[in-house]
Amino acid sequence: MRRHILTKLLLASTVLAMGASSVLADANLVFRFNDSERDEMRAALDEFEAANPGIKVELQTIAWNDARDQFLRESAVGQGPDVVHIAFVWTQEMAEAEAVLPLDELTKYGELPNGFDDFIATDLTMYEGKAYGLPWTADTWAMVYRTDVLAEAGIDDLPTTWADLRKDSEIIKEKTGKTGFSFPAANQVWFPANYYLWSNGGNFIEADGNGGYKVGATREQIADDMNYFKGYIDDGLAPRSILSIDEPQDPALMQGLMDGSQAMALMPTNTYRQLLGAYEQAHPGEDIPFNSGVMMAGSQAPQTHLGGRTLAVNANTEHPEEAWKLVQFLSSAPIFEKYYTNQFPAQKSLLSKIEYRPEELGFAKELADHTRTWGAYADSGVGVGPLWNLTARAFGTALSGQSSTEQAADDLIAEINRMLGK
Amino acid sequence: MTISPKMRTRMTIFWMLLPTFLILIGFYLFPTLYNLELSFTDITLLKLKKGGDFVGATNYSEFLTSSTFRDIAINTVFWLTAISVTVRIVLGLLFALLLNSKFLKSMRLTTIARLMLLVPWATPPVVAVIAWRWLLDPTYGPINSWLLSSGLISDPIAFTATLSTVWPAIITIIVWNTTPLIGVSLLAALQTIPEDLNEAAAIDGATRWQQFRFITLPYLMPTISVLTLMSVIWTFNNFVYVWLTTGAGPGTFTNVLATEVYMKAFIDLRIGYSAAIGVTMAVVMAFFGAMYFRYFGLTDMQDKVG
Repeated sequence: MRRHILTKLLLASTVLAMGASSVLADANLVFRFNDSERDEMRAALDEFEAANPGIKVELQTIAWNDARDQFLRESAVGQGPDVVHIAFVWTQEMAEAEAVLPLDELTKYGELPNGFDDFIATDLTMYEGKAYGLPWTADTWAMVYRTDVLAEAGIDDLPTTWADLRKDSEIIKEKTGKTGFSFPAANQVWFPANYYLWSNGGNFIEADGNGGYKVGATREQIADDMNYFKGYIDDGLAPRSILSIDEPQDPALMQGLMDGSQAMALMPTNTYRQLLGAYEQAHPGEDIPFNSGVMMAGSQAPQTHLGGRTLAVNANTEHPEEAWKLVQFLSSAPIFEKYYTNQFPAQKSLLSKIEYRPEELGFAKELADHTRTWGAYADSGVGVGPLWNLTARAFGTALSGQSSTEQAADDLIAEINRMLGK
Repeated sequence: MTISPKMRTRMTIFWMLLPTFLILIGFYLFPTLYNLELSFTDITLLKLKKGGDFVGATNYSEFLTSSTFRDIAINTVFWLTAISVTVRIVLGLLFALLLNSKFLKSMRLTTIARLMLLVPWATPPVVAVIAWRWLLDPTYGPINSWLLSSGLISDPIAFTATLSTVWPAIITIIVWNTTPLIGVSLLAALQTIPEDLNEAAAIDGATRWQQFRFITLPYLMPTISVLTLMSVIWTFNNFVYVWLTTGAGPGTFTNVLATEVYMKAFIDLRIGYSAAIGVTMAVVMAFFGAMYFRYFGLTDMQDKVG
């Protein structure tokens, strides 16, 4: 009898053990992460693996420039990482391509602590009434100033309008011989081009009020936008070499701010934090000669884009439950406190807890009061990526002198209309 | 039933060629036909799972009538291909003649010179472009530093961002990286020319130029002919040098067919349209190759050499 009971107990414990392991079976996940904080993210994943013994996570990295296309190609043939790190504005495209799982298929494995409404920019994750990604990080661009160079030029107040910015650049050039404002004039001229246009009442695409979309700026508005930035290059206020600079973190721009040969720039949050970190490392114990401020105003208040990154689960994953568990872990507060510290979380409950350094307050104000999503650009069906490329190319032709600003504006409007099917 | 010896020979040839045919079908014919099929659809990167709809020749007509087609064609045919191939052939010939010269042999520099010529060819194109971008950098580049310190310029030149210098900069990189192949190939051809021909010509009073014009050049022409054909096809289709050096910019100033294929496929996501550009490129090169052999064929060249 005793032997019989022992056998039953053994059998029951075996069944229980098997049941427990089937809740989260051994799984090897692949997480594709595209930012530069690879070591920090690996440390975070080690913590995740320690807390979830049945799950191993391989960390993959790919350049942001290739991330979208690579994942779309992989997904179409049943491949790809289990969890992907994508831009806000790609989420709808990924959903349209059936490359990622809707969140309602994932939340059955576990709800979000503060619900989906706790996240910002959720409209960018919606496709045909369903959400397809979890906003992970939030960012925007703001102005960055080298305060010692401004003081050297006798400038006491930070500029607030595009006209001020130009005037201050002239003063800095005249009094110090240094560059005042400089910017990436190739691919990412897209950002300042939009900020200038938005603050002057225009949009490259906007809703037409009848359920459709149209170009939301006149030829004159777009040409004025081009002329503003072209003036910095043509008048020698910024070096011509910026025409080949794609990104604000380009070493040429960063070095100018680091060594004080440039006074003013615009950049995203994580680039600014990396700049501050690099300066502190190079000048330990010294005061930081940087400050940040909101973007310039035009005829209207300043506006920048509310950008960020989304986490999404591959529609081909064999481990949706484990993948969702990883997404939940990556969205938790400790990740942003310990590992992913250059980024702002995309959850309102976490954003409100951030303690900004004094030199970051410009970014905080910009993010809180002066941002908007790409909205109509994404909703129109044109897609932010193609519109971005088209606009940056058009600005490139104008800024380099390949064509006049009026001609470039005409060509841009014609191409946007073609993409809108008009 | 008995198989005749002739039939047996044919069967042997068939079975020996079959693997090659299968490889060609699998890795060349199938992708070519698939690309052709895609070019008649509106497939995008977002519709890879669903597939595209048949749109006839719309992609071709849109591309060939687009406002950018003329500029892209001129950039590809004139700047990228014609200029760079001509410079490479001329420089390659000069290098080959120099490496084959008695002067270098007398100085015991032949081996070291040949090795030096091979260094650029051994450099991967990506590395070559990055190295040259640094050399040409307006802020930190040694070329600008040297030009400034020697007083030749007063302000640094943004070589890859200025309209007047961007194409020469790209061509310089291509020529530096690829001329060694031309030089080494022509050197090999030079070494097959019987020395007694030049000696006999010299005895008959031929000048150095006449020896080059009527002996050396005709012997080199078959090699030059093949190298030119290969270089034209390879350069016409090349993507790496332009994209990595300028990203087809500033603006669209250095946009060529290969970069347009990339941008349409992977930025605008229009795979079908991009496939149509690719097919157009293949047709142009096939036509060029056929014409090239028709008018400058190898057989004809060999006849001239005798």
